[in-house]
Amino acid sequence: MLNFIVRRLIQVPLVMLVLSLFIVGLTQLLTPEQRAAGYIRSDQQAARLEAIIEERGLRDPFVVQYGNWLGSTLQGDLGFSRASGQDVLQTIRERLPNTIELTLLTALPILLLGVWLGTLSALHKDKLIDQILRVLTILGYSLPTFVLGIVLLAVFYGYLGWLPGAGQVSIINQFALGDLRRYTGLLSLDAALNGRWDIAWDVIQHLILPAATLTVVSAATIVKVMRNNMLEALTSDYVRTARAKGLSSRVVNNKHARRNALLSIVTLGGFLIINLLSGSLITEFIFGYPGVGLWMVEAGLRLDIPAVLGFGLLSALIVVVVSTVVDILYGVVDPRVRFD
Amino acid sequence: MKKFALLSTLLLVGSAFAASPRDTLVIQQSADVPTLDPGVTYDTSSGALVENIYETLLTYRGNSLRDLEPLLASKAPTVSNGGRTVTFDLRKNVKFHTGNAMTCRDAEYTFERNLVTNSAESGNWFISESLLGTGSNANDDKTITWARIDKAVECNNAGQLVFTLPKPDPAFLAKLAYTGQSIVDSKHAIAIGEWKGTEADWKAQVGKDLTGSNLNKQPSGTGAYRLVRRDANATLLQAFDGYWGKKPAIKNVVLQKVPEIAARQQAFLRGDADIIEGGGRSVDEQQIKGKPGVAWLDNLPNTSAFAIFMNQKVQDPKLLGSGKLDGQGIPANFFSDVNVRRAFSHAFNYGQYIQDVQQGKGKQLTMLLPSSFPGYDAEVKTYTFDPAKARTYLQRAWGGNVWKNGFTLTANYRAGSVPSQTAMEILKRNIESLNPKFKVNIQQKQWSEMLADSKNGKEAMVLIGWAPDYADADNFLYTFYSSNGFYAPRSNFKDASVDKWLDQARSTVNTAQRNRLYSLVGQRAYEQAPYINVPAGVNYTFFRDNLQGVSAATYNPMTSFDTGTLWKDLSKR
Repeated sequence: MLNFIVRRLIQVPLVMLVLSLFIVGLTQLLTPEQRAAGYIRSDQQAARLEAIIEERGLRDPFVVQYGNWLGSTLQGDLGFSRASGQDVLQTIRERLPNTIELTLLTALPILLLGVWLGTLSALHKDKLIDQILRVLTILGYSLPTFVLGIVLLAVFYGYLGWLPGAGQVSIINQFALGDLRRYTGLLSLDAALNGRWDIAWDVIQHLILPAATLTVVSAATIVKVMRNNMLEALTSDYVRTARAKGLSSRVVNNKHARRNALLSIVTLGGFLIINLLSGSLITEFIFGYPGVGLWMVEAGLRLDIPAVLGFGLLSALIVVVVSTVVDILYGVVDPRVRFD
Repeated sequence: MKKFALLSTLLLVGSAFAASPRDTLVIQQSADVPTLDPGVTYDTSSGALVENIYETLLTYRGNSLRDLEPLLASKAPTVSNGGRTVTFDLRKNVKFHTGNAMTCRDAEYTFERNLVTNSAESGNWFISESLLGTGSNANDDKTITWARIDKAVECNNAGQLVFTLPKPDPAFLAKLAYTGQSIVDSKHAIAIGEWKGTEADWKAQVGKDLTGSNLNKQPSGTGAYRLVRRDANATLLQAFDGYWGKKPAIKNVVLQKVPEIAARQQAFLRGDADIIEGGGRSVDEQQIKGKPGVAWLDNLPNTSAFAIFMNQKVQDPKLLGSGKLDGQGIPANFFSDVNVRRAFSHAFNYGQYIQDVQQGKGKQLTMLLPSSFPGYDAEVKTYTFDPAKARTYLQRAWGGNVWKNGFTLTANYRAGSVPSQTAMEILKRNIESLNPKFKVNIQQKQWSEMLADSKNGKEAMVLIGWAPDYADADNFLYTFYSSNGFYAPRSNFKDASVDKWLDQARSTVNTAQRNRLYSLVGQRAYEQAPYINVPAGVNYTFFRDNLQGVSAATYNPMTSFDTGTLWKDLSKR
């Protein structure tokens, strides 16, 4: 297993190198003027277009431009992101924990809810509860994230006033954040460790609506897949054999059928976590949640190439690490899987 | 049920601490703040913060764009040597946020740093034009030496700041009021790794992009507010206890980044935000205006000018069709006939544009200069929508061949820009209705491509605007009308008289004389019709009605912040 993990980790720099070549190569499809437009915010700055191209070396050959980028990246300088107004590394350092926090609060409910409801639906196939769950699944599956997000915001914040609006903490706590000692980077946890339960609760409250949006949208897929897997498992030979042996329904369903049905959920869960960690772009945008997803949307809109490259590398890292974990989990769920 | 009640209580408790406190100004916007370094501040989003953290030598008096008053200068400057030497006495007992006392050396360092770096993204080209006679930096213009920069701005033995200009510049003082020319804390800047302020390392700083500089991360100005903290979610500022001026009523300012307009609107209507970035007049009038707790201030001055260009030398054969006056295209110099330009100017329905795009809140400009600016002459005639006159001019154009043979013209507009698209559609419909042989094709184009193509004179007709760097007519009129102006390659308009008047106005310090010259430019521009003057929008702003200090009497459009005031002039009930 150790060999397997080491082999996977060795792949990381290689994947990143290829990815960076690919992204920098793609930007070359744009004219220098198009790339320089990312630095322009006004007509006055547009007047300086040629100077911007010259100063940034945007007309240099691809090898020179890539060489410059690689040179500074190897020295730990991923460049300055205009979208965040900070260095790329600092931006990732500041925003990734926020996205992790949202992922932690979201992934578990999505997986648990998805597995539970999917199982429930399959076990009650074609009964009322199954019908209701199927309708809800279709609704959740087809609801665009931005519609659901805005509706939740309008109802629970705008109309009822039960939950806070956009951002990560309320105004009253903004100034207190500077006094917090940061241990983990996860704001709610750090606030709790500092004894500031009010801030921790404030952060959690701000997470509820984005998490709910993501849960409704993403859980639907898990429910659907889980239901299908369970139905398949319930009609398979080994389940029939288990029943014939006189095992209780509970044991058959939970231990034999569900465990096997979970195999593809592990893969799906991996993708889910990759998506959440790479930033839930639309959700973070709607709720002004300062994670990497929001940064990426802005970077994309502004053609912020250092940010796009930095985000690309971060995503590659997340993909490799999460897929390694998923592969290891395969071994846990299915003992037939070996890593030798 | 009990559980639900507990949850509801907790949630309600949570919602209680959302409202904006009385001593705190809460602003929500989608725009990012690229920098807090004045040396590269050249956009309103950065400007709105920098103008409150830093201060300039001079500033605009109240809502006036014509009168300047001292800010960090202790009195109006002494101008001598035929306008070439400008001497400032600086205010005493002024402290930077670090606690350092402001001295003449800080002002000298600031201007030298701006001249040395003068990066492409910055607005320092115009201060360089005044002080070095060129907008370029030392990388692009090898005649710029350290000695020239050093001599351009110095402190004399009496501690006065002395500018030495190569020639008089009537716009120089207005340029000093620009936020990007704010005085920085030189000791602090040097300590955190910025330019040392000496010849030793000046070369390495030339053209350096200061957007992400150390000074951007740790600003220290003399302004009424100091930066407390900046993270991905918010920028926090607090009133500076050591401020030399009147203590601000608002203690805290929180600028939150909320990209989604629906979220900003909810926060504003609930009173959690005092000011938000709106969604344009039509959206804001429909969804914000008239709602409880909302104050709406309209009919405010606008400071931009937009025009539809009529390029007299179109360099792109693709837009010319046959390239002849045979009904299938246009010759490259189609717009060089003044009759064509006048006809197009009469064919634009200004009223319809004001109605459709500006919801009735628009104003026709007599010249491409905001009406609030010094030098604007309201007496210059404007074109009216008059199809009969347009027809007459087109019948005269090109010896009658335009009317006889017709033409096919292709015009581009900026992709995604509703005002540009609407303007072009209005023009197309009206021109085509004059004669069935007239055909105007309009197509959208990406902004970056338009920037590049129009710069090379490739576009036949585009809608472009200009916003001011400083409140001086030259910044607009030279840009649009001079054959050496920034927009000259896009319009290829050249008029010897206009060039002469604009050059004279550049070196005339007598205001009345300059205004007369600008009137002449305006009148000549009316006759020659190089552009279709697109009506200017009327500014408006909205805010929570407990916010005090915002009114037409205090609104200065050169101030970047939405209320047209600095934060120190605001308070909350």
